[in-house]
Amino acid sequence: MRGVRLRMAMADPLLVFTGVEHRHRLPAPKPWKPWATRPGAGVHGVNISLYAGCVLGLIGPNGAGKTTLLRMMAGVLPLQGGTVTGHVKPNTPGEVVDLRTWAGHMPEQVRWQGRTTVSQTLHQLNEMRGQNSQRLDQLLALVGLHDRADEPLDNLSQGMRQRLSIAAALLGSPRVLLLDEPFNGLDPVAAEAFAGLVRRLAGKGVSVVISSHMVTQLEGLIDRIALMHRGQLLDEGPLGEVERRLELEGRYQLQGKGDLSSAKVLEELGNDVLSWEQDDETWSVVLRGDHHTALKNSLDSGLDVTSWAPVRPNLVEWLCAATGMSFDDISLEVSSSAMLPLQALEVSEDE
Amino acid sequence: MSDLRRVLKVARRIRNDRLSNIRLKVMLPILLLFLPGLAWGFSDPNIVLPGGHQPDTAMEVLFYASLGVVFGATMCAVLMAFDGVSKDRASGMLEIQLAQPMPRTHQAAALIIGHAQAILLPVYALLLLTVVVVNHRMDAWPSLTEMLVYAVSTGLIVLWYTLFALLASTTAREQGTAIAFGVGVWFFFTFLWALVTSMVAYASGVAVGEANDPAWVALEGMLDLLSPNGVYHHLLETQLPTVDRGVAAWQLWLAALAWTALPWWALHRRMERLVP
Repeated sequence: MRGVRLRMAMADPLLVFTGVEHRHRLPAPKPWKPWATRPGAGVHGVNISLYAGCVLGLIGPNGAGKTTLLRMMAGVLPLQGGTVTGHVKPNTPGEVVDLRTWAGHMPEQVRWQGRTTVSQTLHQLNEMRGQNSQRLDQLLALVGLHDRADEPLDNLSQGMRQRLSIAAALLGSPRVLLLDEPFNGLDPVAAEAFAGLVRRLAGKGVSVVISSHMVTQLEGLIDRIALMHRGQLLDEGPLGEVERRLELEGRYQLQGKGDLSSAKVLEELGNDVLSWEQDDETWSVVLRGDHHTALKNSLDSGLDVTSWAPVRPNLVEWLCAATGMSFDDISLEVSSSAMLPLQALEVSEDE
Repeated sequence: MSDLRRVLKVARRIRNDRLSNIRLKVMLPILLLFLPGLAWGFSDPNIVLPGGHQPDTAMEVLFYASLGVVFGATMCAVLMAFDGVSKDRASGMLEIQLAQPMPRTHQAAALIIGHAQAILLPVYALLLLTVVVVNHRMDAWPSLTEMLVYAVSTGLIVLWYTLFALLASTTAREQGTAIAFGVGVWFFFTFLWALVTSMVAYASGVAVGEANDPAWVALEGMLDLLSPNGVYHHLLETQLPTVDRGVAAWQLWLAALAWTALPWWALHRRMERLVP
């Protein structure tokens, strides 16, 4: 399934964002101008391409600019700089005038509430698109809300509300689907069902962008990854390719019983060991490199190995690799400001 | 689907949503007391108003009963529209609406029309009842022109306060600020405008409140053009031949146009820049 989608992704990009920029306005009242604002955090200089049938994971910590970029892609926030081109007709790139006709947008948090039913809500949004509602039944069936069409919004569970959000995003059969932290509030069963739905949509040729600060949630779902930090795109490309570029590929975790600290295996593995932990009776080692040799050495040393599995780096490791900053620096930065641009901008901050 | 049809469809949805709101059910008895209730009182054959005046035509009674519109209908417009945008912003619905390929100016037009209709439908129904009450008490009908001017003027003042409340709703981040702004504007024009007029008259050396002083009448008439309530009363006074406050018809209609166009334009501008 993933292979099929990747082959589809090899075609020309559906939408190309070049040097796009948006900075939020922050209140900066002055006695003689109480309504004054100044440019604040946002997104700047982002170049990114969206491909048909491809799932792109937009990864970054809180405040990285993921939501801002998604809103720009959805046409909700205006582009203050940069251009968007798309294949308006087959093989004919042209400037995109209104992104809202291309994209379906699922915001992070929508509190669907009230006595309006599910189908009425979608019908009303469809009216805003100026389209008839003949295909609403199919849409409700696609997201698994067919049986709940006449249910008032107040009666929906969190998972159903997320499905309704994705149904609203799919109105008008968009070519690009933008999902902002879609797994928030979903239990594992609902999350898996949601991931299945995303895979089905990508299989139909929809370009999907998913933002998340949890890389593990997107494992097995995304084809490409875009790393964002402080409003900038640090790296972007197919998952394996970016991992190789950042030297994050080929990580394995060995787990076992016994005392690892007395074993010589750690010395033999040397620099390949990225981290290790020892509990009372169990141990765990994360290593990189030739995992066959490592496994052999472990077994030859008499270690009681209970599991051996590849592991993906977490968000902080991705960010450390992409920025060249240490874990402590990254952690402090994410928890403190993270709102100032990495690059020096030629914009007056005290305008 | 044409743009106009789309705007009207969205407006109808907003109107129906507001009409089914419990807020309107709370306000209906208040409107009932203010509109037909005041007309009942002012059409009493034995009523004597301050200054010894007795209303003797149907239009005169409707003019005095317009106090109910100024006090009741405008407040209802504020209370119906103050969360027209801020509620959707708080729930996240605004982001979904702004992501739809409908021009924001059209969304603004639908908001205005929908909210104004939601308050005007019950107000017009009660105005009809008011006319029936007046006829019952005085055995006289207002002329068609008088009815038309009364309906248009009432529609305009309700529209103006709807626009103020929606403007507050797009500007304020939380609903409390939006309602404070809406009620504040209502309070200023309904109660404090007389104070503003008095202060300007005092500063200009005009005797305050002298109804027989032409300078006071002219000043009050001109200053009323700067208040939506004042313009509303000016519009109604065009149907009262005994009243002349020195305001030309073109000045009056220009003021009415400004009170309509400027907030409408401001709301469009706010919607264009709105961030969810």
